[in-house]
Amino acid sequence: MSTSGAQLKKDLLGWLWVSPWVIGFLAFLAAPMAMSLYYSFTDYPLLEGPVWIGAGNWKRMLTDEVFHAAILRTAWYAILFIPIATAMALVIAALLNEKVKAGGFFQAAVFIPTLVPMAGSAMIWLWMLNGEYGLINQSIHAAFGWAGIEGPNWLQNSKWAMPSILMISLWSIGQMVVVYLAALKEVPDELLEAGALDGMGPVRRFFNITLPMISPVILFNVITLMIGSLQVFAIPYVLSAATPGNDPRAMYFFTSSMYDNAFRYNQMGYASAQAWLQLLITLGLTAIMFAASKKLVHYRA
Amino acid sequence: MTRRSALAAMVLGGVGFATFGPRGAKEDPSGRVVLDYWEKWTGHEAAAMKKIVDAFNQSQDRIVVRYLTTAGIDQKTLITIAAGDPPDVVGLWAYLVPVFAESDSLIPLDELDTKGEVRVERYATGFRELMTHRDSKGQTRQWATMNTGGTLAVYYNKAHFREVGLDPEKPPRTIEEFDAAHRKLVKRDADGSLTRAGFMHIEPGWWSWIWVFQFGGGVYDAASDRSIIGAPEAVAAYEWMQSYSKELGVDATKKFRAGFGNYDSPLNAFLTGRLSMVIQGPWLANVINAHGPKDVNGKPLLDYGVMPAPVIPSLVDPRNPVGLVEGDVLVIPKGCKHPKEAMEFIAFTQRQEHVEALSLAHYKSSTLAVSSEKFLREHPNTGVRVFDAVAQSALGFRYPRTQAWTQFKDELDGMAQRMWSLEQPAKDMLATVQARTQSYLDRAEQQRNLRGRSIRGGRA
Repeated sequence: MSTSGAQLKKDLLGWLWVSPWVIGFLAFLAAPMAMSLYYSFTDYPLLEGPVWIGAGNWKRMLTDEVFHAAILRTAWYAILFIPIATAMALVIAALLNEKVKAGGFFQAAVFIPTLVPMAGSAMIWLWMLNGEYGLINQSIHAAFGWAGIEGPNWLQNSKWAMPSILMISLWSIGQMVVVYLAALKEVPDELLEAGALDGMGPVRRFFNITLPMISPVILFNVITLMIGSLQVFAIPYVLSAATPGNDPRAMYFFTSSMYDNAFRYNQMGYASAQAWLQLLITLGLTAIMFAASKKLVHYRA
Repeated sequence: MTRRSALAAMVLGGVGFATFGPRGAKEDPSGRVVLDYWEKWTGHEAAAMKKIVDAFNQSQDRIVVRYLTTAGIDQKTLITIAAGDPPDVVGLWAYLVPVFAESDSLIPLDELDTKGEVRVERYATGFRELMTHRDSKGQTRQWATMNTGGTLAVYYNKAHFREVGLDPEKPPRTIEEFDAAHRKLVKRDADGSLTRAGFMHIEPGWWSWIWVFQFGGGVYDAASDRSIIGAPEAVAAYEWMQSYSKELGVDATKKFRAGFGNYDSPLNAFLTGRLSMVIQGPWLANVINAHGPKDVNGKPLLDYGVMPAPVIPSLVDPRNPVGLVEGDVLVIPKGCKHPKEAMEFIAFTQRQEHVEALSLAHYKSSTLAVSSEKFLREHPNTGVRVFDAVAQSALGFRYPRTQAWTQFKDELDGMAQRMWSLEQPAKDMLATVQARTQSYLDRAEQQRNLRGRSIRGGRA
């Protein structure tokens, strides 16, 4: 067999080996994405075929007040959740990185909530946040009731819907903590020792040595948090459905609108346009973060 | 193992799975046609339907019904029809019929029902409209049969009535009488916190918009395809709702409601006595019997009555109470494998004995025009005659028969909470919501226009 023949056979065999992934990618990702891009320019009620309407769906997004409110709510959620979750995860990871008794137990305690399905954690929190019987308000009453301070109606008051969702989301940051913990353990001891010899205190060592050393990991986590925040859906969806008496729009996010339009309002074309907008926003914000990271993130040589 | 043998094993495995792997059986080993029937019920409601399915399977030897209860049946039905592989029979909510009918996604039953076994005249007046709707050509067809019916009325606690000097055998009929009863029933503790409310429009909040009809109005005008939620009758109804919120206190009621448990639990506010009157369907009687207080012998202790929802004086008519008439329907999706057999099964379920058996098990009134005396006499819901009267009433109303209803209703539900919270005067909020709901109707009309079937005669 000639050299080119052998190479062709090798190439074919390689393609054959990766074919399950390639077929899966084409059938379950590339083709649906291409179809949804097409649908975004159509009126498509699912039960009937799509009809081309050009940029109609895209223009409609400019005037859809319910959708605007959902985007704004999602943006607020991301703006609040990303820094709070990052700071909390870092602090918890730093504490867990110290040599303390039963450190393994605390690591497990922080990580276990991430194993609870989101719908399940929403149901647990539904009771925790119950205005009258909930553990949180009962605790507030026990601690501050004497001063007339009582907990709010977390889920039935529109103003407290966002803090409730943030609280539930923060309960599940264990995975991020584990990643930070692994990164913290990778920070070379000699650098920290050198810092200490130069007279740096623990706080300064953390900000001047530890943080720059783990900055690539922070960037990774912030990007994944941003993507997750833009797609937040399960927790508000379950809470909203399971809390009669709340304003359903108080827990209405970007993905909620997309879901409703696709599967409840028979407007798959419009939902597809929304999905593409979400992808474009995600890509745009990721690009901005990468650009900003050039100055902020330190990569070890 | 060599690469070649590993590859061969993978290919063989794939071919084997494709050839012999699991798939939905269309015939069972005995050669009977397999009908797939999807239903949304769970628990005792699903079990009651299963008995009818079993009876059908035993009644003949040509067809076997495979019964599947599933959540999210509306979305699953939508997707399977779009994908061209729907089940043969589906149990949907009646308000979804227009969505599927206008796109010809169901098989009209008047095409299959050659013996007239499920013709609409067999059913109570209020249910007839739920089974029909226009097709894509604008022709009215019958798309469904009722499986069970659900009308709404007000349950009231007779012990509470007696306690405050109200006659439990003469419940209020007008809005004014109802308000007076409510005020008497309200109880507060020493520090002024609510411990009992007479009535709250937003509990359970499943039908936030129905009060408009009690004032002689509506939410949607089918003739003009217009939202009429801003009309004076609606303003009066929502101002009435706000008067309760003002009187009880917005924050006080929010805190009070936070202590209400789930509907299907012993913490249901009507069962715990926190609410003396509640708007509900016949199914609440089952919850009362299952979870309500009982004596040592297990006999339910909650002494309840049922009355039609109150109305303005001009609408008081004991023979024609005003109330929502809704229900569950059986439909045959377009593209199913066995439409004739599906029709045969549906006709079996609609025999009077099966309709009444299912309704009894669900604590509901019958969907048929005439109920047997035995059914009414032995019914476990003591208020069944009131629910039946609403179903037979000329003043019964239904969910608006428009494709845009789901979106329309979401808007009304959100508004109800804001209305109760007194965020704006009723008139202002309704004007905003009328404009928004009209935009949903306009959107549905645009969809129809794109497919050449405008219902506004070119006025869109």
